[in-house]
Amino acid sequence: MSARVILITGANGGIGLAVARAFLAENSRHSLWLGVRQHRAEAEALAREHPDCCRCIALDVTSPKAWAEAVTEILRAGARLEVLVNNAGAHQDMLLGTMPREAWDQTMSTNLDSVFHGCQAVLPSMINQRWGRIINIASLSALLAPAGQTNYAAAKAGVVALTQSLAKEVARIGITVNALCPGYIDTESLAHWSAEERKAAQARIPMRRFGKPAEIAAAVRFLACEEAAYITGSILKIDGGVY
Amino acid sequence: MENNVALKGEIKRMMVENLMLQVTIEEIGDQQPLFGPGGLGLDSVDALQIVVALDKNYGFKIPNPETARQVLQSVATIAEALTNAPA
Repeated sequence: MSARVILITGANGGIGLAVARAFLAENSRHSLWLGVRQHRAEAEALAREHPDCCRCIALDVTSPKAWAEAVTEILRAGARLEVLVNNAGAHQDMLLGTMPREAWDQTMSTNLDSVFHGCQAVLPSMINQRWGRIINIASLSALLAPAGQTNYAAAKAGVVALTQSLAKEVARIGITVNALCPGYIDTESLAHWSAEERKAAQARIPMRRFGKPAEIAAAVRFLACEEAAYITGSILKIDGGVY
Repeated sequence: MENNVALKGEIKRMMVENLMLQVTIEEIGDQQPLFGPGGLGLDSVDALQIVVALDKNYGFKIPNPETARQVLQSVATIAEALTNAPA
């Protein structure tokens, strides 16, 4: 893949970092922007390792103003922004019957509104270029809709629908929009699980193991490449066969 | 007046290039509707591309759908909006 300007949100997390590393391994002339908020130590460490092509940028994905500022800064630096990976997300799992309104609103804002704001912020430059790749990290929860995740599952299902709808809107402008639905991926979100919980979860996965962040990153990298130009509106589940 | 003629030509060229229209600049009338019957046959995606191109090429921002409806009626209304826009 030729050198591109790439913005990855939630870049301090396991999947975000893996995506960044995958792009860095692919082409050292990529220009990577790592969108981070409070937690940024690991992203900053990666940026220090690759000072010529990788830098952190403050980005509260729930804020349209923050998006506008971040995209302006990126375009000022290189005049192009070609790939957006909407990876930032968070969940607050609980039963709907006792879910505080804040847990609903925050989950919607972080997981769904953020994708809307991000796509809207990058579209003008992608339209001008007549080339763009938007890759949204949804979740298997969007398809499985597990109990205890009404907020998260609804938000991620929204991301899936947004992806499919936006893909149709911008297809003829050379912009593709796709979503990934990762299943159980061995990141910080599973770190607090006990050995028993991990074992029980793995028993429900046909491959009997959790996915690796690099396995998500590989799919992101593929969807961003030239050869994936005809793939748009696709929802790719990466779940070891669960769904 | 000459400037306005030149501006309309620029707008037509921008539309043909950005929207990859299968018509020549000469075939687009100043007053020809961009959308609907008897028009150029543009759609909402084309409109989005025009909005982005006007911002890029002229720094002219269309802030809401209502303004877009008023401005994006024809080449003439776009030229008028650009001419009347504050410097």
